[in-house]
Amino acid sequence: MARDIYAYRCRKCGHLHYPYRMVCANCGENEHNEFDPEALPKTGTLLAFTRLYALPGDFDVPTLGLGIVELENGIRVTGQLDIDEPAAGMKVKGSVEVVRQEEYEKYYGMIFSQA
Amino acid sequence: MRDVYVIGVGITSFTRLEFPLSEIAAYPVMMALKDAGIKEVDHLYVANMGSGRVNHQTGLASAVVDTLSLTPAGAEVVENGPASGASAVKTGFMAVASGVHDVVAVTGVERMREVNSLEATEFVATLTHPLGEYIYGVTLPSLAGMFTRLYMEKYGVTSRHLAMVAVKNQDNALLNEFAHIQQKITVEGILDSPEAMTNNPFVADPLRFFDCCPVSDGGASVILATREVAEKLGKPLVKLAGVGQATDTHCVSEREEPTDLLAVRRAAAQSFEMAGVTPADVDVAELHDAFTILEIVESEEVGFFKKGEGHLALERGETQIGGKLPINPSGGLKGRGHPVGATGVAQAYEIVLQLRGEAGKRQVDSPKVGFTCNFGGFGNNVVCLTFTREN
Repeated sequence: MARDIYAYRCRKCGHLHYPYRMVCANCGENEHNEFDPEALPKTGTLLAFTRLYALPGDFDVPTLGLGIVELENGIRVTGQLDIDEPAAGMKVKGSVEVVRQEEYEKYYGMIFSQA
Repeated sequence: MRDVYVIGVGITSFTRLEFPLSEIAAYPVMMALKDAGIKEVDHLYVANMGSGRVNHQTGLASAVVDTLSLTPAGAEVVENGPASGASAVKTGFMAVASGVHDVVAVTGVERMREVNSLEATEFVATLTHPLGEYIYGVTLPSLAGMFTRLYMEKYGVTSRHLAMVAVKNQDNALLNEFAHIQQKITVEGILDSPEAMTNNPFVADPLRFFDCCPVSDGGASVILATREVAEKLGKPLVKLAGVGQATDTHCVSEREEPTDLLAVRRAAAQSFEMAGVTPADVDVAELHDAFTILEIVESEEVGFFKKGEGHLALERGETQIGGKLPINPSGGLKGRGHPVGATGVAQAYEIVLQLRGEAGKRQVDSPKVGFTCNFGGFGNNVVCLTFTREN
């Protein structure tokens, strides 16, 4: 099953939020639950990246690629990179996979590879 | 609003400290009370980020106020991530300025070496956005690494500039007996020598080991009071003349211009405006160099240098002790160390010493205006303070 990451669209002004906010950052709408979830697109452009060599203890890999991607709808997200030689401006495509695993919990997030 | 003065300061060594957390918090208050020549305060603010998580101790302010035998004075913890220190100083400022209290003690403390360095980095990483950043393994060094590469590409900052910040601040730390890092380094040694890849490995590419502050234990305190109280003590009058604070998006990815640190710009502007000074009036500054890039960028965002030109001022030596605008004479976070809750108060400690002319071997030439920038999160929450010397 293909998984998605959701952004939240304000029902009043249409502003799209990622991550979730309870009050609209654009129009100030503050009625509870007045946001519609909307799956984020998975393709975009790599804006910033790093390779992390000092990882949090629960990661079982020697290094970790991380980056910020501008998705095709303009929303910017942080994700893991499965790219050997990343470069700013590179076209990337994401898939939603397990990005972090704790003892009793799995977390899903975006992992990007070169498009 | 009443004017607020710093009447006493104290600090511990920043290093690994094998003392109970509440004692690390209390000791610099004892020093600060002696420095001020008083024995009592109306209220105590304790800046701390991680006692509940790292040291398994909550309600820290109650422990510290009792350790100091200052009960029944009121006491509470102020937590604002790595900007907890300046936030607590700002809270103390508001208490005195408003007329609620006449004399308050502010102490910042952290004991991070109780856990190993990976756990300490992980503890600080919990301030990132839980779903938008934290789950991916994002840590503060990784956010700084991404930011550094963008800055290098846009403004021509190089690894050599970053190394120059490290060298300058570790040199300054050698003049500060309380600083954590007591090690002379050179740009050649950490970048060009055959050993550089092992003595200075990547932490978050392009940031290397010597671009990152150490994990430290330590405490620092200031005593704040009204002018009436301050004048009776007969010491040089150092006024906390301006406080400013601003926030920015929790997820760094959301920022419109990813190389801007808007919260720094806004907090600094507020602080200068309240103090009635401009960035050009500042004679000495303590900036939050948790990563070497941050000293360069903050020196631009607060208005000392034009955007994209901080590294040029660094090259010209303007930010060294003896330069036009000495930055981080204490050694900064890089050299003095970064016990997160204590840092903002330690910055204030250094500026007060400098303005009094009591900074010894690292004394800047007769400064009148001093400034601190305490940077929480990756620029999510920034507190700036402006101090002026009177009489």
